[in-house]
Amino acid sequence: MAQLSARGERDRSAALAIEVARRAAATPWWRRVAVRRYLFGYTLLAPAVLFVLVLVGLPFLFSLYLAMSDASVGDPVARFVGLENFRAALQSSAFWSSLRNTVVFTVGAAICKALLGTTLAFLLMQPFRGKKVVRALIVMPFTIPIAVSALGWKWMFDSQFSVINWALSRLHLIGEFGTAGWPVWLGQPGLALGSVMFVNVWRSFPFGAIVLMAGLTSVPPEVIDAAKVDGANFLQRFRKVIVPMIAPILFVGGLFDTVFTLSDLSIVYLLTNGGPDGATEILPTLAYQVGIKAGALGRGAAISLFLFPLLLPAMILLLRNLRRREW
Amino acid sequence: MAELTRRDFMRVSGTALAGASIATMLDARQAPAQNRGTTLRMITWSHFVPAYDQWFDKFAREWGEKNGVKVLVDHIPNLELPARYAAEFAAGAGHDLIHFAAQILTGHYYKNLVDMGDVAEPLGKKYGGWMEAATSPAQVNGAWYAVPDYFVPIPVLWRKDLLDQANLATPDTWDKLRIAARTLKAKGHPTGMQFSHCNDANHNWRAVLYCFGARETDPSGQYIILDSKETRETLRFAKALYDEGMTPEVFSWDDASDNRYLASGVACWIHDAISAYRTTQDTNPEVYKSTYVLPEAAGPAGERKNVGEPTVFAIWKFGKNPVAAKELITYLADHQVEAMTASRGFNMPFLRAQYKKPMPVIGEDPKLSPMQDIEKITAFAGYPGPMSPPAQEVVTTFVIPDMFTRVARGQNIDETVKWGVGEIRRIYAKYKAA
Repeated sequence: MAQLSARGERDRSAALAIEVARRAAATPWWRRVAVRRYLFGYTLLAPAVLFVLVLVGLPFLFSLYLAMSDASVGDPVARFVGLENFRAALQSSAFWSSLRNTVVFTVGAAICKALLGTTLAFLLMQPFRGKKVVRALIVMPFTIPIAVSALGWKWMFDSQFSVINWALSRLHLIGEFGTAGWPVWLGQPGLALGSVMFVNVWRSFPFGAIVLMAGLTSVPPEVIDAAKVDGANFLQRFRKVIVPMIAPILFVGGLFDTVFTLSDLSIVYLLTNGGPDGATEILPTLAYQVGIKAGALGRGAAISLFLFPLLLPAMILLLRNLRRREW
Repeated sequence: MAELTRRDFMRVSGTALAGASIATMLDARQAPAQNRGTTLRMITWSHFVPAYDQWFDKFAREWGEKNGVKVLVDHIPNLELPARYAAEFAAGAGHDLIHFAAQILTGHYYKNLVDMGDVAEPLGKKYGGWMEAATSPAQVNGAWYAVPDYFVPIPVLWRKDLLDQANLATPDTWDKLRIAARTLKAKGHPTGMQFSHCNDANHNWRAVLYCFGARETDPSGQYIILDSKETRETLRFAKALYDEGMTPEVFSWDDASDNRYLASGVACWIHDAISAYRTTQDTNPEVYKSTYVLPEAAGPAGERKNVGEPTVFAIWKFGKNPVAAKELITYLADHQVEAMTASRGFNMPFLRAQYKKPMPVIGEDPKLSPMQDIEKITAFAGYPGPMSPPAQEVVTTFVIPDMFTRVARGQNIDETVKWGVGEIRRIYAKYKAA
């Protein structure tokens, strides 16, 4: 009896399997569950992919096309010139000094922004009276239009009327106007590069502080308390507990900031226009001068594309690190 | 004899008829009926003298009302014009009448600009011809693709009171200017010319170069002849002028810094447009009283070349209202006296007959009256060659000011000339290859 029952069970299972297989064979491939799930997923993803392709992919391909042609602003018919524009850029001393300045500008500003942003974030996390007002004031440099703030700094760095110099001079920290001890912020190569970096840092480090504060609020207080109980000091807690926990946020913030700094044309353009003698020339300003102002689109595009190999390794490293942490 | 098809006949006769109509209309100073009810969109820079923009807008509007044309004028900062034109050209749509200022892009766009010979030639005939430098920003291969509007000269503005106190004569040579700067720097009144990346640096150091007899190219604009003893002499002079008569702040100056330097009462002389003279007039009347104007100082061989800033009108081939645009250009050229007055003497005409003395504004001010002869000594960047695309790239990449900056900072003159000439040759070679 038991044997008969078992055999019947097997027969039913087999019949069911055959029925399922028959139905599966009869169902068109696009109506299968697995396919429908993928289809649904990709349909949801499609607008984002399309957006990236149209607004990022196509312009990038177009700039590649321009960089390998002799396109100029006034000639719609461009001739393919291979890597000639890249070769021309590499032969120019202005290009090499711009590349060096770009790296110094980006790395130097990033270090300053990381230090200042972290300090500010921790300060703003502390309880004190008027915290909301201070928080609102601190983000102001980030919210003021760049043209307005750059012009303000241009006045503060003015060779004759600099409020910084007059204040320092009154405090007897520098010499009088017209003497060698009077700094010319935008006229001495080192000071000029330092000044444009300073304005970039001043403008962007509140953004870093906000990103860090957003990360810090996601760290459970009990984890910090546990670390305190274990005897970890502030630096140890920051390095071993907080940073690993908020690393994804830090990476994304760092990535954004690097991209913004590396492609920042406005501060240099408004403060020094790349001078004196190319001391503050960076790749975006050089590309603008050659590509748009002088009209040599092909060479301008080639110069701007040199930013790509600078950014790509940084992006790959950050994103790989981020993905590893997700697992 | 080649057979004339009906289509050829229609094309040739149609073109001739249209040309004759425009010529007749321009000659008669009457707007054609086809203008009525149309719109003319034009773009120009935001003039350094805001009152001129107000005057021009009213002038263009009134012309439009008289001729049944709705005129819309857009003003944008001169530094934004090149990007704007690139966008309009790429889109194949935009303003009907465009204005090149600071960046002369005639050489870049001429294949896509309307031939302006039918406007420029009659104007030249009517007003005793165009001044010699007019063709540089407006012609390509001998054809007019733009019509010169006005140029901005960059003269010497000097403090007569300070020079008189030091028993110094009128500084009509570069050497006298150097002596004045050396003498007066010790008394707290140095001079200054931009060693930086700005328009004035391009004008000023080119003027010194040309006055010393150095040239960037040959007249054809094809061959670089900057590597010369005159160039080396100019650089040596600039180094001495900086060491003896300037302070390091000139390395950070922008286009307005020298205006402020004069208006503040510090500078003994500057080399700038008369906007600096006007600023001083408005902000420091005492200094203004003793500020005098000299069209240009002479070089060692007595040569004077003032490097001005030209502006020209052009019309896109895709422009929708070329007839009205040409009419407005001609009408404006006929009213240069009013234009000069509105610009407070800032705008200088390109047409010779418009230099009839006394000229408006500058002819009425004894200190400015020497400017009435400026057309005889005016040159533009690239001189004696045209303001071609490579010449413009040399300007936009600041090669010439950077050469002077390097020498002023102590770099070897021969090495600097080698570097500068190398950069310029590289730029010109790119265009030849293209």
